[in-house]
Amino acid sequence: MNYETVSVPLPFLGTPKWQPSFASNEDCEQDPNKQSKRLHILVIDDEFLIAETVVEILRGEGFDAQAVDTGDSAIEVARRTPPDVVLSDVIMPGMTGIEIGIKIREMVPHCRVILFSGQAATVDLVNKARQQGHRFEILAKPIRPEALIEVVRKGSGIF
Amino acid sequence: MKRVRDSLSKKLTTMNLLVSAAALLLASAAFFAYDVITFRANLRTSTGIQAEIIGENAISPILFNDPASAEKTLATLDASPRIIYAGIYTSKGEFFAGYWRAHEPHVPHPLPSTALHQEQTSNFEKGQFALTQTIVFQGQPVGVVYILSDLKALTNRLKTYTIILIVILSVSLLAAFSVSGIAQRTVADPILQLADTALFVSREKDFGVRVPETGDRDEVAMLIHAFNEMLQELQKRDLELQEREQQFRTLADSIPQLAWMAQPNGDLFWYNHRWYEYTGTTPEQMRGWGWQSVHDPEKLPEVLRQWRAALAAGQRFEMVFPLRGADGTYREFLTLAMPVRDASGQVVRWFGTNTDITEQRRSEEALRRTEKLAATGRLAASIAHEINNPLEAVMNLVYLARKQPANLERYLQLAEHELERIAQITKNTLGFYRDSASSVQADISALLQEVVRLYERKLQFKKITLRPEYRTDMVIVGYPGELRQIFANIIANAIEALPEGGDLCIRVSRSYSWSGTPREGIRVTVMDNGPGIPPVNRRRIFEPFFTTKKDTGTGLGLWLTLNLVEKHQGHLRLRSSVQPGRSWTAISVFLPAQPAGL
Repeated sequence: MNYETVSVPLPFLGTPKWQPSFASNEDCEQDPNKQSKRLHILVIDDEFLIAETVVEILRGEGFDAQAVDTGDSAIEVARRTPPDVVLSDVIMPGMTGIEIGIKIREMVPHCRVILFSGQAATVDLVNKARQQGHRFEILAKPIRPEALIEVVRKGSGIF
Repeated sequence: MKRVRDSLSKKLTTMNLLVSAAALLLASAAFFAYDVITFRANLRTSTGIQAEIIGENAISPILFNDPASAEKTLATLDASPRIIYAGIYTSKGEFFAGYWRAHEPHVPHPLPSTALHQEQTSNFEKGQFALTQTIVFQGQPVGVVYILSDLKALTNRLKTYTIILIVILSVSLLAAFSVSGIAQRTVADPILQLADTALFVSREKDFGVRVPETGDRDEVAMLIHAFNEMLQELQKRDLELQEREQQFRTLADSIPQLAWMAQPNGDLFWYNHRWYEYTGTTPEQMRGWGWQSVHDPEKLPEVLRQWRAALAAGQRFEMVFPLRGADGTYREFLTLAMPVRDASGQVVRWFGTNTDITEQRRSEEALRRTEKLAATGRLAASIAHEINNPLEAVMNLVYLARKQPANLERYLQLAEHELERIAQITKNTLGFYRDSASSVQADISALLQEVVRLYERKLQFKKITLRPEYRTDMVIVGYPGELRQIFANIIANAIEALPEGGDLCIRVSRSYSWSGTPREGIRVTVMDNGPGIPPVNRRRIFEPFFTTKKDTGTGLGLWLTLNLVEKHQGHLRLRSSVQPGRSWTAISVFLPAQPAGL
């Protein structure tokens, strides 16, 4: 997990002050404090309110975050802009978070995949994926935003 | 047995004697007839010759009218004692000379009228023989000789013959009688022995006896040999039968079930050991309809009714009822009885078993409770998920509100909305699981709407079109929690089966039960246009632990549903089609109900 060494310190050095409003990508890219490439985070949840608020919180911490509500659009976005971290709900109509994770890993092998789910059954699905050689971090909903930021920064998700 | 012996030997003897006597009598009669004819012919010939000789010698006495000389000639007849009288008459019929046997009166017998016109006449009359002979000289009749003879010789001869006949008859009958004794020994006795043995075998069913062989090579010996062979075959089969019977008894006594056999009229005549062991009764107590004593008196009338109906119809009997054990406690038994038919289809007996299903019932009940618990757990998990999502949103919004006071109002509004969502869910689900201890009146339409609301999000995800038709004014009396579970299971299955964009149809209508006695009620049909259920699975789908969803299903959902439906005196029907492009599944539930307001 070499990305930890390059990606973790940047947000700390980055925005010390909070960037208000649902900032667009352009806003982030125009950040004057930006010294190197910011961590690109793709947030997927079929409840778009959750995806959007998470993106808002992460941007406030200086990350380059983007929200989508389906697996298909997640793949689409990942193809254009390869993400460093994928933060996805698990049980969704269409593709599950696990399927999305596997697909994006195929395109971006070093991408970190964090799953967050409100269902206990998710553990079984993740274990199954692990047996097939796919290791994902997993978080349980609801998660306090501070803890989420911590995990994204330090990579201390539950394996 | 005596009668047979008498009749056969008597018949043989009588026949023997009759044949002998008849043969003898016939032969004797022939002899008699022949002898009489011969005797008469001889008499006629010899008397004729005598008359001719006398006639020759009487010619000159007649011509010279010398009766004395003629009488001398006649006197020579003294040598024939049978001759009673002889006379010489002139050609005109006048008496000329006579001969009389000693002690006979010297009276001339009148000449028979025909004597003068015929050369010779003879006549047997009144035990006497009369003969006339014309005396001819130079072609002219000159007189007639008349001889009268008795038939004593013939009579004596006949008497002797009769005596001889009687003696021969007696001797030959005696001989025949003894011959018949021999016949009886060689023919009748073996046959009678055969008859005795056959009778003994048929009465005593002892196939071990044999008829002693005579050692002859006649038909009777063959018959006896064949009969003995038949006995041997029968003995072999009897042994085989006994062995099979033994096998059957051993089998019947080794099974854990109670087993019994009954006559076509319902009389029970055999029970296995297990029956006596369990009930603690004796064969004497159980004979006929004695089994009633181990039944629950309250349930007995229904048992009798169904058993009699099965007997009358000759059809399989199946019933669950309690039987009292030796310890006085009742246990539940599943009873099955099948008619055993002969080649012509006639019921010859019934074979039945009673299987103790008390433990099975208990474990089924335990399973039902476990499944209820599991269902509750699953529900709790899904409720948690429903709540976790809005909770996540609220947490995020609160965080953002704190960080960005400028947008406070907007974040709080959004948070409020999410909190309302949480409130709505808890209200519904708590209502869902508030089960009452006693049955109450339930409005089926309202109940179904509540259930459907729980799956609203799932329906939205899969873009399923819901087509509800709740047209009824009927109310159900039941346990709302269980009724909700019935429909929740069926609807959840339908939703899981449906592809994205499918149709789910829920229809409630007034109906009558479609099995058993007609009852008024409602029918709830849940229909989906999913892939359908293959026929091989249709029958098994209601079995416990049968599932096609290995990862997520326990295989208990529909089994529990069916149980709950039956608990509410309802029934359930599954129809499905797997025809590609037009597949569907419909589950209909009938529940007894009554019009609202009653």
